Formats: sequence, structure tokens, C-alpha cells
Amino acid sequence: MSLIKIENVSKTYVGGEGLVEVLKNINLEIEEGQFLALLGPSGSGKSTLLSILGALNPPTSGQVLIDGISIYDLDSERRADFRHEYIGFVFQQYQLIPYLTALENVMLPLAISKRSDKEQREMAQTVLEKVGLGQKSMRLPNQLSGGEQNRVAIARAIVNEPALIFADEPTGSLDSKTAKEILDLFQALNKDGLTIIMVTHNVENLAWVSRSISIRDGQLCAAT
Amino acid sequence: MRLTHISIQNLRRRKSRTFLMMFSIIIGIASSTFLFITTQAMEKDVADKLDQYGSNILILPDSGEALTFGGITVGVTGQAEELNMSMVEQMQTIKNKENLATISPKLLADAEINGQKVLLVGVDFEKELRLKKWWKIEGLNFGQLPEKNEIVVGSDVARILGLTLGKSVDVKGQSFLIKGITQPTGSVEDDQAIFIDLKTLQGIENKPNSLSMIEAAAFCYTCPIEEMTKQLREKLPGTKVTALRATLESRDQTVKKFSMFSIATSIILLITSALVVAISMISSVRERTRDIGVLGAIGFRKRHILQTIFLEVTLVSFVGGLAGYLLGMGLAVAYGPTIAKMAITLPWQPILGVYATLGAVLISVLASVYPAWKAAKLDPIEALRYF
Repeated sequence: MSLIKIENVSKTYVGGEGLVEVLKNINLEIEEGQFLALLGPSGSGKSTLLSILGALNPPTSGQVLIDGISIYDLDSERRADFRHEYIGFVFQQYQLIPYLTALENVMLPLAISKRSDKEQREMAQTVLEKVGLGQKSMRLPNQLSGGEQNRVAIARAIVNEPALIFADEPTGSLDSKTAKEILDLFQALNKDGLTIIMVTHNVENLAWVSRSISIRDGQLCAAT
Repeated sequence: MRLTHISIQNLRRRKSRTFLMMFSIIIGIASSTFLFITTQAMEKDVADKLDQYGSNILILPDSGEALTFGGITVGVTGQAEELNMSMVEQMQTIKNKENLATISPKLLADAEINGQKVLLVGVDFEKELRLKKWWKIEGLNFGQLPEKNEIVVGSDVARILGLTLGKSVDVKGQSFLIKGITQPTGSVEDDQAIFIDLKTLQGIENKPNSLSMIEAAAFCYTCPIEEMTKQLREKLPGTKVTALRATLESRDQTVKKFSMFSIATSIILLITSALVVAISMISSVRERTRDIGVLGAIGFRKRHILQTIFLEVTLVSFVGGLAGYLLGMGLAVAYGPTIAKMAITLPWQPILGVYATLGAVLISVLASVYPAWKAAKLDPIEALRYF
């Protein structure tokens, strides 16, 4: 059974020039354990599709099933619970909370769990070590490089042991060496069993993924 | 990590905003505390002073022939129905008994001294002197009371009859030592009478339980005097209970003015503080739109966001409220009497600290309802697009 199933998903926005159809009747299935790249140029609708998959952005029509759950049939509070339990996000600009240390940023998803403070710290420290930042856990985001901030964001995404990771242009603002390190890290996490869906406009990144889908003008146009 | 930690870290990061918010709460609470304490003391001081200008309630028999006592009409002893000592106890059972400051029972009698008819007023000296704080008595030291065989003579009586301190006077066959002479008060009933121990006069007149009138001072800055006179009339049937309106109305007006000024100023100050808190929180939420979006995206529910915002406000307002109380109370204790030109000591009121702190928290939380609600309502995807 597919982990993710998208049926006839469309998304329309009201723009300055009237209605803009960003996604047009998308159908897609993603198996558990895949490392999928959503490839496409700017404005193609790939980030919108990612946000719809991430239970953040209801489609105008169609259905999204994750682990058999129709996520947009849940009310907003239950959808928040669903995101907490199933999904880890790595945002485009990492979106770390600037007044929290790396360790505290990683602990954020655990702050609303029933785990003790000690357990939260241990879990966060373990994942920071896993992404290679065990020694920099007490630094604030502005004391870390872009690549390191990206690693903290990845650590925050995986600390809660979700089934899915959604990454939006995770290498977009990194140099090629750092980008390679991040992709290696994603690949290692995928090998550990995590399903990863990554939005990218860089075809070079396809070397790390197990499957890729191109999206253009709101429609899926090629798959490998 | 708990939500409290996120709130504290945010406050620490935004030091100037946190300080501004706390400062506004400190100013609001300190000013309100100062005004409250000072006004409260002023009210008490005014009430005490007004008490000195005469008793507020006069209780007389409801029938009988009239005798003028300093412009006040009273029943003549021996000819009219009289009051009795049990009425004093009954007065202390009315609903507003706490407002009765001093009750001074009196027996009036006439006597002839050196061929002149004079008025004898039998009083409980301790209560009478507490009631007539403005009396200056030559021959009596502060706190000293005349003995049973001693009398205090009104200034006019002493002058007309040529009575002097230390002299003995024969009153109805008993000899009394003149222990004190009142200095002129301008009050006929004080200057034209001889004051004698109540029980002694009751013995002389052979009326051990009788009274001609009862004077009472009332602390009426917290009670309606009309209500008290009504309660007394009900308790003491067959008597005439009169409130001395002029004094009371003047007192009421003065006290009301102080209270209104204090309340109005405090409300304005607290509204200003609440506005500063609200504006600071609205601005804080706007600045943190992206952070709030992240929290929503990773699974924080609306109530978690609300909790984070309210925790911040509670922490700041708790510290601000407590500091404001300490500052306001400290200023009131140190400078209140000087500013209000009162010779009194203002005591620290710890319970007011509890109310001030809780009030600061309540006002600040109420002021933050709108920004907190806005934050909780933020759509994560919109919030993440904000920057």
C-alpha cells in the first residue's frame, strides 16, 4: 500500500489577474521508504504541492491520503497533531527560532510531548550528533553557518521520529560542497527507512534520490 | 523543554520590548498603589478630623418638656421619659455597629451654685474626652481623667461663678474638687456646663440607670448615616435619633471627592498600561509571525500558541506588578504624609501587594487576548510566507 496517495488534486489561488490554477488535477502515489525529488522551475507549483502533502495547505479539490488518513478531512487541530506525529519539515530558509540554541530548536517538536526535559535533551543531543553538530548544540542559529543551520533544521525534522520528511529546496542557498554533505545526510536517513520528499530545481540533486517527478505549469510531466 | 522556556527565551531576546512592557506595568501599578494608599490615609485623616467637630448622632427621649442645652432641645430630667444605660448596649447591636466610633451617654441635671442655676452634665469622662478631641482642659494632663469626686467646669461657668482650679465646690450637698476648666470652645453646651462623673451624678439624682441623651461619633466615610439612624430608631423605640447633617454632608463630599479622584486617576493609568501591553504584544506577534508559523507547522495546536503568549505576559506582569507595588507602597510610606500634609504613619499593606500583582496579571492578560488570538489564528503556510 502506498504511504501517500494524491487523487485529482487541484489548487487555485486568487491572484492579481483573477484565478490562478497552480496545480491541475494531480494524481500521485509514493511508496514508503522512497527518496523522491519534485523537480521543476520556479513557479511550477512544486512548493505548493509539497505544502499540500505536508498537511499545511488544503487543495481546492481532490483528496490527499497519508497512511490511509484523508488529512484534509481532519479539523485544523487534529491536522496539527497529525503533522506532529507523521511529518518533519525542512524549510527553505531553515526557519530556526533565532532566540533558541541549536539544541533547543531541535527540542521544539518535543516541547508539546509528554517526555521529560531530560529525555527531550538526550533525544535532541543524539540527533544533533547524528547530523554532525554534537559539539555545537549550545550555539544560537546566527553563530552557525548556512550548512550547519540546515543540519539543525534536519535534526529538528527527525527528532520526533516521523514517517515522512518534507524538504523545500534544502540546498538552494548552499555551496556545492555543503549541498553534497546535506544530500548525503538525507540519503543516509532514507537508508534508515525514512520516506523523504524533496523539492528542488537543481537536476544535479537527482543523483541522490530514488525517484524523481518533474512538475511544470501545475502538472506532472515526467517521472523516473 | 516546556512552553515556559520558549516564553522566557523570547522575553530575554527582546529585552527592550520586555523592559518597556514591564516599565509601563510598574508605573501603572506603582501610581495606583501610591494613590490608593495616600487617598485611603487622607480619607481616614479627614474622617478623624471631622469627628473632632462634633458627634454625628444624637439620641434623645421622644417626649417630655424641653430644656435648651446649647441650642439643642432635650427632655428635662425628672419630668420626661428618660433613656437608660441598656440602650448603649443595644446601640452596639445594629448592623453598622462597626461604624460607631464612640458612644458617650449623658445625664443632665440642674443645680444651684453660688445662687446661680447651672447645668450639670454627667459624663463618662473617658468617652466624652475621646468624643471631644478639640477640648483643651486647663489642669488636666494629656490622658488624665478626673476622679469621681472631681469635676470639669466650662469656661463661661468658671468665669461667671469665679471658680478656679483646685477649689472645692458644693454641688447638691457633695463637695467636688475643680480638676479642670475648659478653654472657650465657642460651643455653648461645652462652655456653660459643669461636667461630672456620670455614675456620681446618677447617684446624686438617685437615678442609677437613667440617661438624658446619648451622643455618638460615627465613622461614616464607609456607611450611609441615614441607614445608621434608621437602624438606631428601630433598636431604640421611643427615642428621637438625629443625624447632624451639615457635618456629615461636608464629610461625605470631601471623602467622595478624594475617592473619585483616586479611582479616576488609577483607571486612566491602568488603561494606559494595558494599552502599552496590548501594543507591545501586537508588535511582538507581528515580529514573530514566521516563528509562530514554524510552531504551527511542526504541530503546535492553537492552545499551545496561546499558552506561549499568555505565559510571556504573565511573567512580565507578575514581576511588573510586584515591583510596582513595592515602588508605590515605598513611595507612599516615605513621602505620602509629606505630600498630603498629614501627620500620620502609613503602614505597609502586604495584602495589597497580592491584589496589585494579581491585578497587573489580569489586566495584562486581558490586554493580550487580541494579539494572542491573532497569533493562534495564524495559518502556518501564510506565516511562513510572511518573510
